Amino acid sequence: MSAYRGNRNPFADDDDEDFVGKASGSSGWSKPTEPEDRQRWLEQEVMRTAQSAVDSSQRSVSLIYESEKVGSETAEELIRQGEALKRTERMVDNMDQDLKTSQRHINSIKSVFGGLFNYFKPKPETKPPPEQPPDYKPSSRLQDALVHSKEQEQNYQASHPNLRKIDTGGFGAGASADFSTSQSSNGYPKNKQLMTAHQQLDNNLDDMAAGLSRLKNLGLGLQTEIDSQDLILDRLTGKVDNMDLKIRTTDQQLKKL
Amino acid sequence: MDNSGKEKEALALIAEAEKKMKSSQSFFANMFGGSSKLEEACEMYARAANMFKMAKNWSAAGNAFAQAGQLHLQQQSKHDAATSFIDAGNAFKKADPQEAINCLNRAIEIYTDMGRFTIAAKHHVSIAEIYESELVDIDKAIAHYEQAADYYKGEESNSSANKCLLKVAAYAAQLEQYHKATKIYEQVGTHAMDSTLLKYSAKEYFFKAALCHFCVDMLNAKLALQKYEEMFPAFSDSRECKLVKKLLDAHEEQNVDAYTESVKEYDTISRLDQWLTTMLLRIKKTIQGEESDLR
Repeated sequence: MSAYRGNRNPFADDDDEDFVGKASGSSGWSKPTEPEDRQRWLEQEVMRTAQSAVDSSQRSVSLIYESEKVGSETAEELIRQGEALKRTERMVDNMDQDLKTSQRHINSIKSVFGGLFNYFKPKPETKPPPEQPPDYKPSSRLQDALVHSKEQEQNYQASHPNLRKIDTGGFGAGASADFSTSQSSNGYPKNKQLMTAHQQLDNNLDDMAAGLSRLKNLGLGLQTEIDSQDLILDRLTGKVDNMDLKIRTTDQQLKKL
Repeated sequence: MDNSGKEKEALALIAEAEKKMKSSQSFFANMFGGSSKLEEACEMYARAANMFKMAKNWSAAGNAFAQAGQLHLQQQSKHDAATSFIDAGNAFKKADPQEAINCLNRAIEIYTDMGRFTIAAKHHVSIAEIYESELVDIDKAIAHYEQAADYYKGEESNSSANKCLLKVAAYAAQLEQYHKATKIYEQVGTHAMDSTLLKYSAKEYFFKAALCHFCVDMLNAKLALQKYEEMFPAFSDSRECKLVKKLLDAHEEQNVDAYTESVKEYDTISRLDQWLTTMLLRIKKTIQGEESDLR
């Protein structure tokens, strides 16, 4: 029995003991090979579960990378839109200026008094289009968010028990060392497979954690950009509506002339 | 569907418009407001073109729009002319790509004359897309994308310019103009890593730049990789950087299996697209080529 103990892995531990207890209680050791089979079956079960965990973590990692890719492409598209919106706003402002000038011309054409009136009205200054620095506002907020999230990450990792670096050696080699001092780590393939599976799982989980934090920051950045574009859109709608009205009145005035 | 009816209407309109045009050239019509005749003819051409579109007769629609554009030019209304030519180009896209390109080129000339570079750039991109898909002339597509990128840069739309430049780089690399591709990727990557939102794509650009270096020479790739890591520390954490390092090692040891292994490993997590696969295959051939030389 001591030979078994060396081969055992911690998952099979409790089950084995229970089973052995039952077997000795019920049938009194009728088949000495049964516990061996059961142990092997349990070990296979463990390997299967570990493997499926690794596979699903692989899938999750790939999904996370895919979402990151989609997110970064969205970010590029958003920035392009933001630039187009800013350009549109500049042009609408220009159009506004032009409309004011044409209105003055119409006034002067309409009547002599209109012309005199114009003389006394302040000239519309052709103010230079305000050069809006692209993306500066969102970046400072985002920087803060980044700094905060990094701090949080440190605290989170320290406090959350699952995120503390689990000693993967403890599953395979450590267990064998506990149970038998003559154990060398390269003697038992099952333990090693389990160890590699666990290591792979841990690596994938690390990747997932890093990817998720990147995704979160990306999401925050996208949100700030969308908010600022929202504001621009609202302003733009108002300006364009005003402009529409002005153009229509100018048109009517021209018709009357 | 009364599409055939529309076609007949459209043909009738065109005939009428042509009559108007001819009549406008007579002496009396010119005296008594010949221009309004031209305008009416223009409008008729446009209406006829729309009806042809409804009847899905794209080449006829394109022709009608082109005629309308011509008339607008004669009347010195450049904006309208350009828009008509654009409509013509769009209609021809479905029927005759070459004609479409001609119309679009004429429209671009008008726009650049007026100083509307953004719109001109947008249409250069459309022409480049036609060359990409229908006429498959990669060189001309590259030329148009470059022109579009220049115009966008002039109008300070850097992200649109970068989008065009990326396409130029992708095609240049396919045509083995690695030097050009590398320069563009590095430029776009450096620009991206400064921006808060764009930095998530920066690693991809550096990866592609490193691959282009690799196609030329392994030592180049190594130096370039170090440079990128210094410039952009987040790059070293990325899987792409790790993949390139593994490929460099495999190449040094002339080990094709290790190369294929690491590529496959990367592929299980993020699928490799067509361009990447082509480049990686080319690099693999250089390994295999050297192996066979040694034999």
